[in-house]
Amino acid sequence: MSVHPEYGETQDSWLGRRDPRWRLAAFALAILGAALLRQPGPAAAAVGFAVGLTAVVHIPGRWYRLRMGALLLTLLPFLIVVPFAVDSGNRLWEWRFLHLTDAGLWAGLALAMKTVALVTLALTLLASAPLHVTLHAAGRLGVPRLVVQITLLTYRYTFVLLDELNRLRVAVRVRGFRNTMSGHAYRTVGQVAGTLLVRGADRAERVAHAMRCRGFDGSFRTTTVVRTTFADVLMFNVIVGTAAALVAWDFLG
Amino acid sequence: MIDVRDLRFAYPDGRLALDGLTLHITAGESVGLVGPNGAGKTTLFLCLCGVLPVKPRAIGVAGLDPADPRQRKELPRHVGIVFQDSDDQLFCSTVGEDVAFGPLNLNLPNDEVRRRVTEALGRVGMSGQEERVPRHLSGGEKRRAAVAGVLAMHPEILLLDEPSMFLDPRGRRELIGLINALPGTKLIASHDLALVRDTCSRVILMDAGRVVTEGKVELLKDAELMEGHGLEAV
Repeated sequence: MSVHPEYGETQDSWLGRRDPRWRLAAFALAILGAALLRQPGPAAAAVGFAVGLTAVVHIPGRWYRLRMGALLLTLLPFLIVVPFAVDSGNRLWEWRFLHLTDAGLWAGLALAMKTVALVTLALTLLASAPLHVTLHAAGRLGVPRLVVQITLLTYRYTFVLLDELNRLRVAVRVRGFRNTMSGHAYRTVGQVAGTLLVRGADRAERVAHAMRCRGFDGSFRTTTVVRTTFADVLMFNVIVGTAAALVAWDFLG
Repeated sequence: MIDVRDLRFAYPDGRLALDGLTLHITAGESVGLVGPNGAGKTTLFLCLCGVLPVKPRAIGVAGLDPADPRQRKELPRHVGIVFQDSDDQLFCSTVGEDVAFGPLNLNLPNDEVRRRVTEALGRVGMSGQEERVPRHLSGGEKRRAAVAGVLAMHPEILLLDEPSMFLDPRGRRELIGLINALPGTKLIASHDLALVRDTCSRVILMDAGRVVTEGKVELLKDAELMEGHGLEAV
């Protein structure tokens, strides 16, 4: 199983062709809306809406399932605790200091579903366009350009460093290293981490040299020109309107 | 075009990388810079580009002195460098963005930047590949994309640092064709003496931060001289 952070080729889609600023703003508000949900009903509807959007963006099912599965596995220990941590409601089961309530079950279910909705929306946003397009849109929406560029560079060089780490792993394994609980193993892992850090620092310096040699003066520029169309505003209204309706249902319903 | 006089450079750890280096390259020349590891070739390139600090009047590149902050800012318009490891140079998210990086820093209008990107990618045989992700390129493609990024700035002087490193024979052959087709003054630092023979008209042999000798490419056939400086004659 691989949950490699990289998303492959972005599929062409109606959502992907929208102005990235409007798309990012719509998804950010929808994610905020999903985070505010407390009831299982609206949370389930949010999951349905988010999964519907994955179909619009043509996200590969396997790519989505692997990431969602990994996330749910990570969150499972926290989600399991919730039904036992709520005192209100009818007690369905009790044993010494442990008790399970119906309100706790609903709360756990709502939390799980809104997490799925949140992450699905985030993955859909990530898959709808190449990351640099989304990040440049963030820059145009007011996120400091320096933050955007550092994120882009980090993303670009994460893979180079991962390759470097893989080469180091192979290098220690072919010389008989096995990761056991011993002083030697811990020292080796520390040395590998140190080597990776030093190589990363060296590369950062070389990249800085390359940027300066091409006239970089601290300002980041781009040729991308974006224009708002009626479809962009329509997309924004549909996504934000749905999110607002779900929040209203949750709070007023 | 390039004038270096008694250039000395020591790294912060005290290691002397360039020790009284002097050389002269005229406009339009294609010169090979050969020498063993640690000879100071890359350090010289970084000094020529103004990345490493040098003393005033030690270097003249396209009439500019890299020691002068104002003139140093002008250097990228005149000098382009292709680094050993293309991953150091391809730092943008797509090939198109990367090639556009330099022209945008020259404050050229967007239309002119796009024209230069198309032209530079065409010259390295990568037309229409603007949207590709650098990580997904082969070694040869990365090198060509890196060269395109430099060509888009229309430099008069091109510095190529170990250009054939990490390339397979086909990529290397393509690179030789590409270098020969490039205009302007070229300074090529390499251990690959066959590549230097096929792309340069003159050779400068460096060792321990100094110029040992210079002459026509036939110099590369001198087995005793080459082996005496950690190289193999071709």
